[in-house]
Amino acid sequence: MRRFDYHRAETLEHASRLLTELGDDTFLFNGGTDLLVEIRERLRRVRNVVDIKQIPGLSDITYNETRGLTFGALVTVGRLENLSLVRQRYPNLRSALASLGSIQVRNRATVVGNICRASPSADTIPPLVADGAFVHIYSRTNMRVVPICEFFTGPGRTVLAKGEIVTGITVPPAGDNTGKAYLKHGRRKAMELSTVGVAVSLAMDDGVCSDIRIALGAVGATVLRAPQAEAMLRGTRLDAEAVRSAADKAMEECTPISNVRASADYRRDMVGVLTGRAIKQALETFA
Amino acid sequence: MKRMVEFTVNGEAREMAVNGCCSLLDALRDEVGLTGTKKGCDVGDCGACTVLVDGEPVNACLMLAVEAEGRAVETVEGLQPGVDRLHPLQDAFMRHGASQCGFCTPGILMMAKKLLDDNPHPSDEDIRFGLSGNICRCTGYTKIFDAIKSAAREMEATRP
Amino acid sequence: MNMTTPIEQREFKIVGKSVKRDDVLEKVTGEAQYTGDIKLPGMLHGKIKRAAIAHARIKSIDVSKALAYPGVKAVLTHETVPRVLHYGSPHPRSASCTKDQYILDHKVRFWGEGVAAVAAISEEIADEALDLIEVEYEALPGVFEPEDAVQLGAPLIHEVGPGGNLVLDPVRVNRGDIDKGFAEADFVLEGTFAGGRPHPAYMEPNVCVADWDGSNKLTFWTSTQTSFMVRGILAEVLGLPLTKVRVLVDHMGGGFGAKQDLFQHEFLCALLAKETRRPVKMEFTRHETFVAGRSRHPCKIWLKQGFKNDGTLVARDMKLVYDSGAYGSHGPGVTIVGTTAATSLYRCENVRLEGRCVYTNTPINGAFRGYGVVQSYYALDIQMDEAAERLGMDPAELKLKNVVRAGDIAPSGHPIIGHGLEICLKHGIDVLDWTTLRGRDRTPDPKRPHIRKGWGIGCEMHGSSAYPGIKEQGNATVKVNEDGTVTLLTGAAGLGTGAHTALAQIVAEELGVRFEDVGVIHGDTDVVPWDIGAFASHTTYLVGTAAKMAAEKVRAAVLARAAMKLQVSAEEIDLSEGKVFLIAEPDRSMTVSEAMGPSRGIPAANIVANGTYEPTKSYSFAAHFTEVDIDTETGIVEVKRVVPVHDVGRVIHPIAAQGQIEGGIQQGIGHTLTEDYVIDKKTGRSLNAGLVDYKMPLSMDMPDIETIILEAAPDPGGPWGAKGVGEDPIIAIGPSIANAIHDAIGVRFHHYPITPEDILKALREKGA
Repeated sequence: MRRFDYHRAETLEHASRLLTELGDDTFLFNGGTDLLVEIRERLRRVRNVVDIKQIPGLSDITYNETRGLTFGALVTVGRLENLSLVRQRYPNLRSALASLGSIQVRNRATVVGNICRASPSADTIPPLVADGAFVHIYSRTNMRVVPICEFFTGPGRTVLAKGEIVTGITVPPAGDNTGKAYLKHGRRKAMELSTVGVAVSLAMDDGVCSDIRIALGAVGATVLRAPQAEAMLRGTRLDAEAVRSAADKAMEECTPISNVRASADYRRDMVGVLTGRAIKQALETFA
Repeated sequence: MKRMVEFTVNGEAREMAVNGCCSLLDALRDEVGLTGTKKGCDVGDCGACTVLVDGEPVNACLMLAVEAEGRAVETVEGLQPGVDRLHPLQDAFMRHGASQCGFCTPGILMMAKKLLDDNPHPSDEDIRFGLSGNICRCTGYTKIFDAIKSAAREMEATRP
Repeated sequence: MNMTTPIEQREFKIVGKSVKRDDVLEKVTGEAQYTGDIKLPGMLHGKIKRAAIAHARIKSIDVSKALAYPGVKAVLTHETVPRVLHYGSPHPRSASCTKDQYILDHKVRFWGEGVAAVAAISEEIADEALDLIEVEYEALPGVFEPEDAVQLGAPLIHEVGPGGNLVLDPVRVNRGDIDKGFAEADFVLEGTFAGGRPHPAYMEPNVCVADWDGSNKLTFWTSTQTSFMVRGILAEVLGLPLTKVRVLVDHMGGGFGAKQDLFQHEFLCALLAKETRRPVKMEFTRHETFVAGRSRHPCKIWLKQGFKNDGTLVARDMKLVYDSGAYGSHGPGVTIVGTTAATSLYRCENVRLEGRCVYTNTPINGAFRGYGVVQSYYALDIQMDEAAERLGMDPAELKLKNVVRAGDIAPSGHPIIGHGLEICLKHGIDVLDWTTLRGRDRTPDPKRPHIRKGWGIGCEMHGSSAYPGIKEQGNATVKVNEDGTVTLLTGAAGLGTGAHTALAQIVAEELGVRFEDVGVIHGDTDVVPWDIGAFASHTTYLVGTAAKMAAEKVRAAVLARAAMKLQVSAEEIDLSEGKVFLIAEPDRSMTVSEAMGPSRGIPAANIVANGTYEPTKSYSFAAHFTEVDIDTETGIVEVKRVVPVHDVGRVIHPIAAQGQIEGGIQQGIGHTLTEDYVIDKKTGRSLNAGLVDYKMPLSMDMPDIETIILEAAPDPGGPWGAKGVGEDPIIAIGPSIANAIHDAIGVRFHHYPITPEDILKALREKGA
């Protein structure tokens, strides 16, 4: 491992300043479960890390019926995973949280860190995209809130400018008429990076689908929506035939690549299978 | 640049100067001198370095030593309740053949301790899920499952 | 194998019981010392600069910047290390190996090969210094597949050896008359098979520590299965007498065969320590255990067999090509063992086999549990299943008809003892009610019609010891101390199998003392008797017999001493559970402690004896019965249940034996379904050298395993009939899964790993 210097930020302003002033190879250090791996595996050259874990106010979790679920940058995957509210209201997010890495990793990793890493296969991104989450971003000059689907600009890339820090995420409220699911495909049942991940968030009114969002992980440069498939399903009763056609459409909408984990063709196939299964599972909420 | 850091290891206060980039795992092994916690991958994939920090299992390789400031770290060396007594898990691991090469054992013991502390009657599925971040390459896990179930029964029988 | 010696029967007091393993006490408390736990005063850390090119000539190496880097104490390159051609394999004097390695060479033969080494005051500084070493390469065309390597005009990887990128001359085995066999056949099956590159992935990355003293003696701690081989090759290459090299290994975190080579980092660590006159530790990263470790030989097999309509196998023609990677390592041994193994398993009088082993510019393949046989029996067993299908027979029935039996000639050339495989198969068939099982619905869950079930059987046999390739010798020294306790000295390595416990059980049983009174000293080449190494499933069989022989001798000496003290003749007394007593008058007795200790006019004494055993070979057998679920939409295969039925002769420690079987099954499930160390076919670069993308089955993936061990065919060559068990399970599980997959979805696979993509593709082609 190469050496790096450790800096502990006291405030967001302090962290932001360190990130700008310490030079190019300076990275924000939160859960560390990706950054330390990248350093040890020589994937990223790092001279300084700025630890934000002592900054007050970034560990809160709040929920209300109008604003939804908001959690701070320091909230770990494990903490959210074990929250009954998440289990009940956001089963898609809960499923993604419980499938990320291992228990040990989840006790350190944060959801905000997972999205900032911007991996196309990140588990927590598809459910957050399907739920239409918002990302809260701090900078020394202004604060901004970005819809999560606009947050990513490419693999490992986000809209964050130098010195900007994500302080939290808000997930809109989950109404009683909503159904959600996240399905992950991997070769093992745990300790997996997703080969394909599909999140679905849908709303049913009188047996008719009033809204649906489908988010596809690991089959594009960023997590993708499947807008045409969604459009085919809105206003339908989500019967088997409609779901099958939409799943076929989702296969057309994704842009997977081949690598050591799976071929592009197989990933595309799995988008079809998992989209169908995720919708079915999301509907089980109403059964 | 080295920094001073102070935390407890198995209840004992420890103070040491470490580089900012030093992992908790390296600090435990090299500075504290407790080598029971093993380095199987150094990137959080194998679980051999599992320790409890403030009661929660983490990979000691993925935590910096400076982050342990003020916290309570438990390692396999702290598992024995007394000099001549084994924790029921340790005894069960011996009796059931749950440890072969033993390299994964310290991490699995710490994970199993956490599992049984939280859930004294784990189902087979709970045990499998609880150990899913700990690689064992020798046993096929069968004997580890046996040992944890046996320890759970033992702990239940001796619980006041 | 000795057909004439009857196996001693007795009422066992210690053997056959799962006594507590002493070494495990240290493991559960965290006190067990592994090589990586060693920290010596002034110790430096070594790191290896690895080539990012698969085949090249080194034009120049500039280490000046690295040497000038603060904290760096030494840098070694091919220009500064001794240039001694040596064997990578620890069996240098076995028939077929070629010396094909230098410590560092001016040529790179695989992506990741070491080209320089650094010692520095910290691991981080050593690591950083690697970037400052400037290497200029002249790229050479690489070959990454055996079929390309053997083409005329293919770039040659080595100047030594038989040429044409062959590691050794082709291994040919002929029995009977192959043409006559095929002429008698009613039908012929022919197919090609392929095995991937599974990696042992032991939990403890390779590590060593070297320390030279003022007398120019090297003390060397290393995680090895073969400490005396390490001593021998190190001494030879460094030009030292064996008295000047002491190799130590206490606990080790697994090896599974792969920790048998003498690795490049081991030489470099010793040389860096010599150069700096300070102790040096060298520890692999997990990435390095893949790149610079050893994996199983990828293999391509062509198999053609002739059958009669009654299921009799009349001809077997087989060609095997093993991919050795960039160096020979265990290629010769694997090729010989894997090829000759195909003379057996299923009876066939007319056999023609040809095995080749080929260099490629890929990471080195070496010894790994199942040693060439995993590959060849995968093909044999699957084709037997196909023959059953063709005949409309139950595969269990056809396998039962053809399995080897007592008196058949084993691959070693000896007659097989007992009906081990037949008994295992029959037992499994009965326990599982196999015929009823086969008749069950393949889609039992109407809610999940995409899940199909299947059941399959895989058979195997495997030798304990490397005979006849290596004429082995097992040694043990047993001392009876003056307080009646017993010390066993053994060179056998403790990989974690419980071998030392089994050896102590054997000594206690034979000598007649309590198990707790036997201590085991191991892992110090200056102290313990010479040992060939822990491999070939032979420790209990080979060293166990030597230990029994030594115990028998000290027992006689103890009895003689007690007789003197009791003033009777030695024939009148017996020894059991630590007590010497008169056979006719059991109340007249003394403890072994009293016999050994001082008494009036007789000082205390120490009784010592050696046991040396040079065995041939025994064979262990297994039949695995496996149930799979296949998701026909995703192609994911889930192994749900395995019933392994093993014959291991006399069981010494049942739980340890079961543990070997269950661990072997875990690895075999991985090999067959998820594990493959992938090398890019264009560049030779590793694509998944880490534990996330190299996918071993973990706790949630493992099926229920219901292990059955039968003492069906004890072999007189082992202690009370004991045979090996370490390698067997990994051989049988693979074909049992492949056959179960066929049972579930009607598709035959001839390769491993069988990926979800393969399943979906095959289902589509089948038109499902």
